[in-house]
Amino acid sequence: MKKKAVPEWLNSSIWSTSPAMNSTTTTTTSASASADLVHRYSPSSNPYIYDDDDVDPPAPPPPPPPPDTVRRDVRDRDPGRLGDYDRDDEGPSAEEISRQALLLTEVSKKMINIGELRRLACQGVPDNAGVRPMVWKLLLGYLPPDRSLWPSELAKKRSHYKNLKTDLLVNPSEITRRLEDSLYSDSKESKGPPIGMLKRSEIAHGEHPLSLGKSSIWNKYFQESEILEQIDRDVKRTHPDMIFFSGDSAYAKSNQDSLRNILIIFSKLNPGIRYVQGMNEVLAPLFYVFKTDPDEENTAAAEADTFFCFTELFGGFRDNFCQQLDNSNMGIRSTIARLSQLLKEHDEELWRHLEVTTKVNPQFYAFRWITLLLTMEFNFSDILRIWDFLLSDPEGPQETLLRVCCAMLILVRRHLIAGDFTSNLKLLQHYPPTNINHLLYVARRIICVLQHVILDSYSLGSVSCL
Amino acid sequence: MVLVLALGDMHIPHRAPDLPAKFKSMLVPGKIQHIICTGNLCFKEVHDYLKTLCPDLHISRGEYDEETRYPETKTLTIGQFKLGVCHGHQVIPWGDLDSLAMLQRQLDVDILVTGHTHQFTAYKHEGGVVINPGSATGAYSSITYDVNPSFVLMDIDGFRVVVYVYELIDGEVKVDKIDFKKTTTTNAH
Repeated sequence: MKKKAVPEWLNSSIWSTSPAMNSTTTTTTSASASADLVHRYSPSSNPYIYDDDDVDPPAPPPPPPPPDTVRRDVRDRDPGRLGDYDRDDEGPSAEEISRQALLLTEVSKKMINIGELRRLACQGVPDNAGVRPMVWKLLLGYLPPDRSLWPSELAKKRSHYKNLKTDLLVNPSEITRRLEDSLYSDSKESKGPPIGMLKRSEIAHGEHPLSLGKSSIWNKYFQESEILEQIDRDVKRTHPDMIFFSGDSAYAKSNQDSLRNILIIFSKLNPGIRYVQGMNEVLAPLFYVFKTDPDEENTAAAEADTFFCFTELFGGFRDNFCQQLDNSNMGIRSTIARLSQLLKEHDEELWRHLEVTTKVNPQFYAFRWITLLLTMEFNFSDILRIWDFLLSDPEGPQETLLRVCCAMLILVRRHLIAGDFTSNLKLLQHYPPTNINHLLYVARRIICVLQHVILDSYSLGSVSCL
Repeated sequence: MVLVLALGDMHIPHRAPDLPAKFKSMLVPGKIQHIICTGNLCFKEVHDYLKTLCPDLHISRGEYDEETRYPETKTLTIGQFKLGVCHGHQVIPWGDLDSLAMLQRQLDVDILVTGHTHQFTAYKHEGGVVINPGSATGAYSSITYDVNPSFVLMDIDGFRVVVYVYELIDGEVKVDKIDFKKTTTTNAH
C-alpha cells in the first residue's frame, strides 16, 4: 500500500512544535533523525493510525528498507544473545521512528493521557530512548498522570520505603540494642568498672536468643530465616548469564542485595503469600529497567520504585502463586483452563490435537508461562518488549498474558500438529526464538471473549482440562 | 550478629546423666553459629550431641575427658573479638582471677572462657574479660556440691557483646544478661 502523495502524518503538528522535551537529549536527536529519515524513505502506509484490530502487520513487507529486514533477521536468528540492550542501531523503519517520536512526545507532556500512552506503548517502547522506566511507572500507576505531582509523590514513596527498610530489615540484636539505647542513656554504659565483676542485668520481656516464646523477636527471626535463605538462593540464581545480576562484580552484588531486600520486605508485609519461588524472576526485569534509567536520581532510588511497582504488578497475579487457591476459581488451574478455552475458541484444530490427541496437559507448559509472566521463555530484551505489551493493555496484564500465550501456541501450530506428546512437550517447554513483533501482532488479533470464557470456565474449572 | 554458645563441665556420664531437660529444649540446631566448650564433657556422645547443635565446635581438654586429643588451650576470632578457651585446671590457684588474667594476657585474647570451678563468673580486668559458664549439668565440682546448672550464650555484634547467662534455679530457667563493648585501647600495652 504505497502512497505517492505526502502522507498526512508528515504534516502533523508534532513536527512543527519546538522540542520542549525536558528529558534526555536523545529525544531531540531521535525526533530530528526521524524527520531526516522520513524524507529519505517513502513509507508504505499510514504508520501511526494503529487500531488495536488493525489490518496491517507492523512489520512492513513491501518494499523493505534494508535496515528493517536486517533488524528482523538479527532478532530471529539470535536466541543466545542475552542481556544485550542495544539492538536497533541499524536504523529502524520510518514508521517506527515516528511512533517512537509520538511516544516520546506523549511522555513529555505535562498532563499525560494514560489511554493514549497505553495505545502507543502497546507497540513497544524504544529501547535506547531511556523512557521505558518512566512509561512503566506510569502504566503501573506508580506515577500520576500529572507531571507536576511527580516530585512529591516520588519523595513520599521513597521515604516510605526507607522506613520500611529500617523497620523490617534489622536483626534482633539491633532491635534490642535500640530498645536499650532508648531506655538507658549512653553515659551509663561506658562508665563500667575497669576492673571487677561484671554486673548482671535483667533482660527485658524475657527476650533472649534461645527464647521459644511465640512473640519473641528472636524466635520470629529464626522462623523467618528459612524464607530468607530461600530468597537468598533464588536471588543468586536469577539470570546467571547477565552481568547485571550475577558474577563477582560489586555492581552485581549490589543489585542482588537490592533484589533480596525487596523480596524480604515484600514477604514480611504479605504474610499470606510470603515468598514463592519465581517471584525473583518476575522482579528481575522491573528492577533492571528502573536501574538502567538514564536519570541519576531515579537510578539511585530504583530499589524503592521497583518495590512499589512490583507490589502493583504482582497484585494482579498473586492468586496464581497462592497454593490454597490452586483449585479454586481464582487460582492457577482456572487460569490455565481459561487459556485452554481461549485456544479452543481461536484454533479448534490445534486445541483438539494438543489436548485430546497428544494429551499434552497445558499445566506442563503453561504453568511456567503464566506464573513467571513469560520471563523464562524468551531472551531478556524480548521479555522487556513483551512486558511493554502486557503492561500497556488496558484490560490488564492477566488477560493480555493469556492472549500472548495463545499466540505462542498458534505460531508453532505446524510443528505441534505434526508432533506427538514428547516432541510437543519439548517444543513448548523450550519455546523456540521467534519474531516478537509478529507474536504480539497475533496476540492483538486474539480478542479475548471474556464473558464467554468465564462462564465456560465455571463448568471446566474443577475438572482437569480435557 | 553471631551467636556463640559457651558451656562445659558436663561430666557426663560420671557425675550427671544428661543436660537438664529445660536446657535441652532451648538448645535447638540452626540458631547458634559457634560452640565453645571448656572441657570435661566427658565422653564422645556429648561431643556428637554438641556437633548436632552446630558444626563449628571448639573444645579444650578437661582433666577427666576421655578424648585425649583436645588441645589444652585454643584461640579463635569471631567478628571483632578474639576468644580463648582453656579448661582452667591448669591454672593454679583454681579459679583465681589474677592468675586467669595472666593466662589471658599470654593467649592475647579479649575474652577468655574457662571452667573447672562449676560456678558462673564474669570478670573484667585491663586485659579483657574472663567468663566462666559454670557447669551445664550442675555436676559437683572438686570444690563444692552446691552447683546450679548454667551456660552462657554470647551475641557478638561488631564491637559489642551481649552475654546471656542461663541458669537453672529451683527448676526454672533464669536468664540475665551482661553487656560490654570492646574499646580499641584495650590491648594497647
